[in-house]
Amino acid sequence: MTVKCIASMAALALLMSVITSAVAAEKVQGDPAKAESIVASACASCHGLDGNSPVPGFPKLAGQSPVYLLRELKEFKLEHRKSEAMTPFIANLSEEDQANLALYFAAQKPTPGVVTKPELVAAGKKIYLEGNSDSGVPSCDGCHSESGAGSDRFPRVAGQDVEYTLAQIKLYAQHVRKYGIKAMRIVAERLTDLEAEAVAQYLASLK
Amino acid sequence: MKFASIFIALGVFVAPHAIAESTALPHASGIESKNYVWNKQDQELEGLLKCAGDKERGQVAYEVCRGCHKNHAEGRPDAGYPQLAGQHVSVLIKQMADVRRGLRDNPRMHPFIEATAVPLAEIPDMAAYLHSLRVPTSNRKGPGGNLVRGKILYDKDCVSCHGDAGEGDAAEFYPKVASQHYPYLYRESLDIRDLMRRNANPKMVRVLKGYSDEDIEAVSDYMSRLPPVND
Repeated sequence: MTVKCIASMAALALLMSVITSAVAAEKVQGDPAKAESIVASACASCHGLDGNSPVPGFPKLAGQSPVYLLRELKEFKLEHRKSEAMTPFIANLSEEDQANLALYFAAQKPTPGVVTKPELVAAGKKIYLEGNSDSGVPSCDGCHSESGAGSDRFPRVAGQDVEYTLAQIKLYAQHVRKYGIKAMRIVAERLTDLEAEAVAQYLASLK
Repeated sequence: MKFASIFIALGVFVAPHAIAESTALPHASGIESKNYVWNKQDQELEGLLKCAGDKERGQVAYEVCRGCHKNHAEGRPDAGYPQLAGQHVSVLIKQMADVRRGLRDNPRMHPFIEATAVPLAEIPDMAAYLHSLRVPTSNRKGPGGNLVRGKILYDKDCVSCHGDAGEGDAAEFYPKVASQHYPYLYRESLDIRDLMRRNANPKMVRVLKGYSDEDIEAVSDYMSRLPPVND
């Protein structure tokens, strides 16, 4: 039997389409203007009208990759990713709404984050840019980029809310947020509490 | 320094500890087993090698590797992460596949190459991308104290496979060694000699068996100083 490229083998291609869905980056199609009324009635009280959350603990969505936002909305809808706060709102969102919302928040301008423990920022920067090779923590900039702007595969982290970042690292480490990219679960497991906190502070300091 | 105490505090917390985590490493039988065949082709490896990798897709797929191997695939000598830029496609694919299936033990890397982190189809793409990058000239060299011995050993034992210029041999899956980081060459050579690198070529184990640590240091240093070879 002649062996063919593994990527073109039908059975594997099917399997791969399932696996890749977590990392695939397809362009989001929709109309952000159509999301405005939903934002005002459902999202704004936690995430802010402009996606800059006024409430600590809630993620800043402004400037986030639309691909990432749509992926996470779908994950909430499927109940792969769970959040009590999101549950009542996600149920009513159609696929079209989700795409419109993703584009809406992606187009908003992010405001600077709030550093709550400035003494940890320098240590957080070291972890962010160098990782910890003893415990096998890669540097964070590899995926999230040096500026923290992220990409379609990996979310923007610059200026993110400290409490939210820490909560997510914990959820990854405890495998509660288990449908995300596995690399992040491993990073979260390998980070010490102090390293995680320092990184969260550094992220908040990034513009 | 103002933040010195924080770094010290971090140092306490991040002191080297065994990587114990939920994801079990796979284990394939390697050089320690009686019927080990080096570079034994199976459907997965053959299927990967048949793919025409796409550099552009590979660059995107490589994002998950950059935290260790860095933006230009220059690696990090201080952390033991090898330079991957310019390496042969065949070598890259084989080594990624070996780590993935637990033939080359690498607990630090495994979670970043296993199936949910990297779909199989992206491996040839990443290899094509990495091979297209120029080999950096700023790699970490060795201590420089025994280069004459290093050259003698290299010419005697290494040239036949890795080539005069350290260019390796893509068709034979022999890596390019010229301008690789010294600490990486040193560690891997020790591991191959001591049967710790379980996907090693037995030919190489036989060669390195007679080497002292100092010999390995000398020859690794020599290789690290061979000028970059770009295909």
